[in-house]
Amino acid sequence: MIAASVRSWSAWSPGLDDSSAWRDWSTDPRELASGGRPDASFLPAMLRRRCGSLARIMLTTAFDCVDADEIAEVNTVFASRHGNINESIELLDRLAEEKPLSPTKFSHTVHNAQAGLFSIAAQNRLPSSSLAAQEDTFACGYLEALTLLERYPDRKVLLVIADVPPAPTFAAMIEEPAGSYGLALLLGVADGEDSLEFGISAASDPGESRAPVWPDAIEFLRWYLCGEPALALGQGRCSWHWKRSGATGT
Amino acid sequence: MGMINALGSGAEEIWPRLLTGDQSGFGVRDDLARGASLIVGEIQTPLPQIPGKLERYACRNNAILLAALEQIEKPISDVLSRFGRDRIAVVIGTSTSGVSDAEAAIRHQHQTGELTKSFHYNQLEFGGPASFVADCVGTAGPTYAISTACSSGARALATARSLLALGICDAVIAGAADSLCGLTANGFSSLQVVSDKITNPYSLNRNGMTLGEGAALFLCTRDSEGIQLAGVGESTEAHHMSAPDPEGRGAEQAMRSALSDARIGGEAIRYVNLHGTGTPLNDSMEGAAVARMFPDSPPANTAPKCSSTKSLVGHTLGAAGAIEAGFCWLTLRNADADGMDLIPHVFDGVRDPEIRTPPLVTPGMRVPCGPVMTNSFGFGGNNCTLILDREFP
Repeated sequence: MIAASVRSWSAWSPGLDDSSAWRDWSTDPRELASGGRPDASFLPAMLRRRCGSLARIMLTTAFDCVDADEIAEVNTVFASRHGNINESIELLDRLAEEKPLSPTKFSHTVHNAQAGLFSIAAQNRLPSSSLAAQEDTFACGYLEALTLLERYPDRKVLLVIADVPPAPTFAAMIEEPAGSYGLALLLGVADGEDSLEFGISAASDPGESRAPVWPDAIEFLRWYLCGEPALALGQGRCSWHWKRSGATGT
Repeated sequence: MGMINALGSGAEEIWPRLLTGDQSGFGVRDDLARGASLIVGEIQTPLPQIPGKLERYACRNNAILLAALEQIEKPISDVLSRFGRDRIAVVIGTSTSGVSDAEAAIRHQHQTGELTKSFHYNQLEFGGPASFVADCVGTAGPTYAISTACSSGARALATARSLLALGICDAVIAGAADSLCGLTANGFSSLQVVSDKITNPYSLNRNGMTLGEGAALFLCTRDSEGIQLAGVGESTEAHHMSAPDPEGRGAEQAMRSALSDARIGGEAIRYVNLHGTGTPLNDSMEGAAVARMFPDSPPANTAPKCSSTKSLVGHTLGAAGAIEAGFCWLTLRNADADGMDLIPHVFDGVRDPEIRTPPLVTPGMRVPCGPVMTNSFGFGGNNCTLILDREFP
């Protein structure tokens, strides 16, 4: 198992925009809503105009999670299954209509566009990774954050995971829990009592697991807030495990 | 290492063509960018068929990946039996994933109201290629895609090394694949960074990049024998979404961190595979950064020889970091006791007096054996430099 500790967190979903709302939700969890986006009024207007829904969710949770004097001093990981897929599909629609592409829109469809906008907004010049892993995007994002702690143990890692569902035609081709959401976790090397241990095991019997009702990242948050000793996630190739330091069993 | 690009498929085919500065992989496509003919580095080798059970991943990008994967099937099957499927991770860089097939599907939708029958969302999403590789060979460890534009492939290798160091797995299939598509062809054309001739890096006459496609895949383990990923350097720019800092500070930071991670000084580096896209801005900022990193003053003249290989295979975007790490890997693998052959820098030979031009590799050049470096700089200001090294005979 690999230990790390959560130094702070922040999350967003429509109607759930502060920590007390999430604490209430964690005692009575229900499906997340889609649509809507944070106002991101802390961003300069010029930059905010270039931020779509996903960027607003990611930057809002990122800036809520980390103190202003520390935001340029953390390594970052941005995880999203779908990224800016709806914006990319809009560009593909334009190509099908033989229309020209906007260079600005094109440069904002890269998967690390949110990371780039964050870097500019936070004036952060430190290592940053962006990833996607289908239904395992949260667990792999957490693991990627651990790889940055491995390379740079002296610097905390801000993990930001968020998704906005793809347009219905495409969403119909995959199975996943509903909802737009974002979660930011500030992770540091383990500091005793408060740390979480992370590990991987072979996939559990598919008959035993039920399809998740909300995204894995939010299930992690629910678990983290509720104080249960252990969490297992994963519907696919392998199972992902978190355990509170000192907790017994799996 | 398995590899495919415009110069061929497999190291045995590609390496001699690199050494002779072969530009025969470039051709013209009229159908990629709206209203323009583009010179591109397109794969000519026939691509393998995607297995029927993985039909939902059947797109050109994954076929390119499969061509590279087939070249390392034997060592993969060895690690599968040695470590078990749960202990093998897959990390694949990509910036396009299967967008070229999605373009065809959406064009069909505009004409008929429905997407093509063969299209599946798994072909388009960024995480698809990694899952495709894992399902092809039957691995069950962590499986994910890194997508940081043109540094994706380099970052995938950096992640692989850390996953091994963390002990979360015992082997990683790591690399990258990208394919030519209308989105990148039109997108980069709209940014006015595509050359109307074969890209001409570091020339006075350079006027942009030439797009390419390809894949490179490495099987990475903790074995201390063989070629090592000795250094990783990373930085972001906090500058602009689609243009680097003109002074090259982010590029310099990436190179400096890689040297520090490898615990060597700049004078140890024997060769640098430049990012060298052939755009006016990239070459001037990278040239300046390389000049600051590797001062080339007589009598020592310790600065490494440099080349951009984008005038041989094109800019393969998300795959470039892995493909160019592959070129560095081949440079080291083919070294002998007397030295190593370097891949020449192919351009029109007209230097730009306004920029700092690094010492360029000329055809037939050999240097003493030593570590080599490769630079990858991406959109969103994401930079990654890798250093590869080995024990020499």
